[in-house]
Amino acid sequence: MKRTLILLVAVLSLAACGPKAHDAVPAGSLPDIYPDYIGVTVPATIAPLDFMLEGAEALDVRVAAPDGTVLRSSGSCTRFSEKKWAALLRKSVGDSVRVSVCGRFDGQWKAFEPFGIFVSPDAIDYGLTYRLLEPGYEIYSHMGVYERDLSSFRQRALLENTQFDGCVNCHASRQGDPGTWTLHIRGSHGATLLRLNGEIGAYNTKTDSTLGFCVYPYWHPSGRYIAYSTNNTRQGFHVGQDKLIEVFDLDSDIQVYDVENNQLITAPQVKLPDIWETFPVFSSDGRTLYFTAAAKVEIPGELPQSRYSLMKVSFDPETGTIGKDVEMVLDAADYEGSICFPRPSYDGRYLMFTLCDYGTFPIWHHEADLWLLDLETGENRRLDEVDSDDTDSFHNWSSNSRWFVFSSRRDDGLFTRLYIAHFDENGQAGKPFMLPQRDPKHYYEDLFRSYNVPEFVTGPVPFDKIRAQKAINAPERVKFGFRWSD
Amino acid sequence: MSRSHKIAAFVMTILSGIAFYCFFAFRYPYHLHFQEQYQLFESTWSYFAGVAAVPGGLADWAGRFITQFCYYAPLGAVLMAVLLCAVQLLTWAACKRRTLALYALSFIPAALLLVFYCDENALAGAAVALCLSLGVAALCQLVLGDRVRHILQVILVPLLYMACGGLAVVFVLISAFREAERCGFRRALPVIMGMVALAALLPAVASRIFPYPPGRLYYGVHYYRYHNILPGLLWSAALVSVAVAALSCTRQRVLPTRWGIVPGLVLFAGIAALGTLLTGKAADAGKEEWMRYDFMVRMQMWNRIMMRADAHNPDSPKTVSCLNLAMGMTGRLADSQFEYFQNGPDGLVPPFSGDYTNPVSTGEVYWHLGMVNTAQRFAFEAQEAIPDFQKSARFYKRLAETNIVNGDWDVARKYLKALHHATFYRAWADETAALLDKGTIFEKRPELARARDLRLKEHDFLFSETEMDSMLGLLKVENAANGMALDYLMAWCLLRKDLDRFVECISMMTAPVMPKAYQEALLLRWVLTHSDFQGLPAYIAPAHAQRISRFIADVKAGKSEDEMLHTYGDTYWFYYYYRSR
Repeated sequence: MKRTLILLVAVLSLAACGPKAHDAVPAGSLPDIYPDYIGVTVPATIAPLDFMLEGAEALDVRVAAPDGTVLRSSGSCTRFSEKKWAALLRKSVGDSVRVSVCGRFDGQWKAFEPFGIFVSPDAIDYGLTYRLLEPGYEIYSHMGVYERDLSSFRQRALLENTQFDGCVNCHASRQGDPGTWTLHIRGSHGATLLRLNGEIGAYNTKTDSTLGFCVYPYWHPSGRYIAYSTNNTRQGFHVGQDKLIEVFDLDSDIQVYDVENNQLITAPQVKLPDIWETFPVFSSDGRTLYFTAAAKVEIPGELPQSRYSLMKVSFDPETGTIGKDVEMVLDAADYEGSICFPRPSYDGRYLMFTLCDYGTFPIWHHEADLWLLDLETGENRRLDEVDSDDTDSFHNWSSNSRWFVFSSRRDDGLFTRLYIAHFDENGQAGKPFMLPQRDPKHYYEDLFRSYNVPEFVTGPVPFDKIRAQKAINAPERVKFGFRWSD
Repeated sequence: MSRSHKIAAFVMTILSGIAFYCFFAFRYPYHLHFQEQYQLFESTWSYFAGVAAVPGGLADWAGRFITQFCYYAPLGAVLMAVLLCAVQLLTWAACKRRTLALYALSFIPAALLLVFYCDENALAGAAVALCLSLGVAALCQLVLGDRVRHILQVILVPLLYMACGGLAVVFVLISAFREAERCGFRRALPVIMGMVALAALLPAVASRIFPYPPGRLYYGVHYYRYHNILPGLLWSAALVSVAVAALSCTRQRVLPTRWGIVPGLVLFAGIAALGTLLTGKAADAGKEEWMRYDFMVRMQMWNRIMMRADAHNPDSPKTVSCLNLAMGMTGRLADSQFEYFQNGPDGLVPPFSGDYTNPVSTGEVYWHLGMVNTAQRFAFEAQEAIPDFQKSARFYKRLAETNIVNGDWDVARKYLKALHHATFYRAWADETAALLDKGTIFEKRPELARARDLRLKEHDFLFSETEMDSMLGLLKVENAANGMALDYLMAWCLLRKDLDRFVECISMMTAPVMPKAYQEALLLRWVLTHSDFQGLPAYIAPAHAQRISRFIADVKAGKSEDEMLHTYGDTYWFYYYYRSR
């Protein structure tokens, strides 16, 4: 016993004689951390921004609030206490926390230049919903729709395809309202689920007068309508080196679903035979319907010539009438690119979209970037503050339009990860930060699924997966009615 | 049991173990490889936690652990034999009264499981789950105090349900019979009711927590690869094990202890005979043959494929495509293609189908041709199509390779990291990752350098199965050294009986000698367009001209197909007129 104690003391003494973080030599540079949180702007309610230091055997990190409160973490990566982190950020609202990083390399500690993380006074929504699925081709494996609480690391499955035969497809809530939801299911149990007033219904959205099933949804701010595209979508697979997949439409139209009257409404001007119309969204006041449109080309030969422009048409929410005059907002030809996923900010000032070289599915285009259109001034610019060398694509605004989330393949070129960026009142975006995870390096390295269709939600989604499962597995479907717009 | 009975029982178990081993090692080894390639067993805590977190997860994890050793079929055969013997021994252990006849009956569940495992979608976790249930039922009976045992049994029901899923009901039923016999039905009634109620309610409760429909939570989440199929044989085996244990609790009149050794041996022989018969019926030789070819393609055993084809001419599109690939890889396709059975272009490059088996060996064809993206797609799709949503070490390896060739090294590293945790792939993954770090991957891995050199670099278009000839032609045009692409192009034209396109493509040939099949095809076209052999090109051997003359004469003479096959089965003419009509 005595001998063991002596041995223990000796070992501890030896360990104490080793180099310590406070003996660190200055590195003279900023740390190379993963994820890159240097200089980002975050909301006060974000989960701890844990990170690791590339190439380091260990790190020692101090996060200091302006009032001098310090939060410390060390190990192979940081592991900040959620409670203490939240308290630290609360104290730092409107200011920056200062992060000092020491790393041990070959037994020698190095102290890196400290960096700041700005804690914005702008609130962010409760969480995100997104799909997780393999970035695959035609066949799908395990997938689902999940909800993530942004103030913690908690992720909850809302619906997974282990519950039924099929694919969990596009989902959308009304401006982040967790109670109003639509979700499309593909496969042998195909249906569109609508969650309205606490009830889940399974619908057959295909009518005799429309092209096919409803695909890309967007809620009207009143909650009475949902704009849908209907697309005859196909995939093609590149044989050459740089690209893998093309997803394209052979046909597509725009339609609006009247929730109250269970009726699809469309009009000839958004259902032109020689034009592909897709990605419909309502303006924040609900009186304009934006969408993208391209002249039909021969597929697959002329696919690189398929370029979608941004269009708009008026919409009367009182009567559910689509306006007669379709107006071009942005001409794709001016940008030598194709406009996808238009998303107006909920404050009505901006419209964000993805621009890629051609087509309607930018996630497989490495050149895809986010762009911003000022709806007041008409000024249009690439969002250089957030764009990367790889795919930056599907995006959505927070309910107060001060944050946006987007999907990006900047991490490894294939697996889509989520980034959140602040957006100030002057239309400037902050440096985006990766969705925090407890051990981000291992989490993202081990995750073989991509994030898809991220959306903010203002509270936990009250989604009863058992009822949803029953509705999906039951054969009954409520059929959509149809009428032409006046 | 007397000493002689014990010896007889021991011999029975040893014999059955040997029989199980022989079946898997010699009759069904490629099914074991097949099982192994549709999973990626990672030796990590997160993998264990992910698998074990659903009802039946522990058994599933243990089943996967065993399955990984099927990478070496003899080792896998040993483990499967041990597993089935364990089912028998634990069935026996769960019995109360010990007679040799009852011992013989305890082989029925194992025999039924052997039949179950003739199905390539039966998963090893099922047998583990049954073992767990039987083993715990037997162990519980060792607890002497009735009260403690009853409490333990009730507590164990939910734990067993989590560990082995729906088959926990075996524990419940055996315990119920044993307790009724041991304590009397009236005294045992509360514990029986408690266990049965728990067994009935647990799946319903679990359906609120786990993302599976209630039905699956009753009959098992991971016993069978297809979730919408109830594994009937497995449940028969489970119920028989319960029945055997129940029988052991009945009165002496049924299978009396005074029976000598002979009735036990006769029963065992009968069960063995029935098991052999059922296994023989259930074993699918056609699938085993395809799995053999697929394994040999995976291991690039080209000469072994040819030897196998010489012994047993393959006849399904999947096996024929493997043979054609072997001939292509060894440069024998042009000469020897029609010496073997050919079933049209589908036997050269089978069309894509969205299941987890078909794209596997077809993906190998594309990989060796240099169509890297297509090989990647086929590997990815086959993996995504695995019905129980598992990942595959084989496909991860291929995806790492295709991403390396495509220059997507970050993605490749992701796959390599996962393979690092798989016992039989770790060495390859670590070495590959080190080569990537050093930047010498293409110097040290010639197969990757070959794929990089063969792939299309200047042309890009969307893959189309109907334009196979264009794609193969471009591969040859971009890389003159890609002789296999030309062989496939010519074979494609010949198998489609498109002689005009064949003649167009023959100008791409640079070989000094015209292969036999090509000479035959050219002769056939000559015969179809000319009245005699005047002006026949010099590169067509006169012997072939004489032979086609005899062929025409024999056709006109109305010789039967069998006679024609016997005389001309190795010629393109026979294929042209008698095959793929």
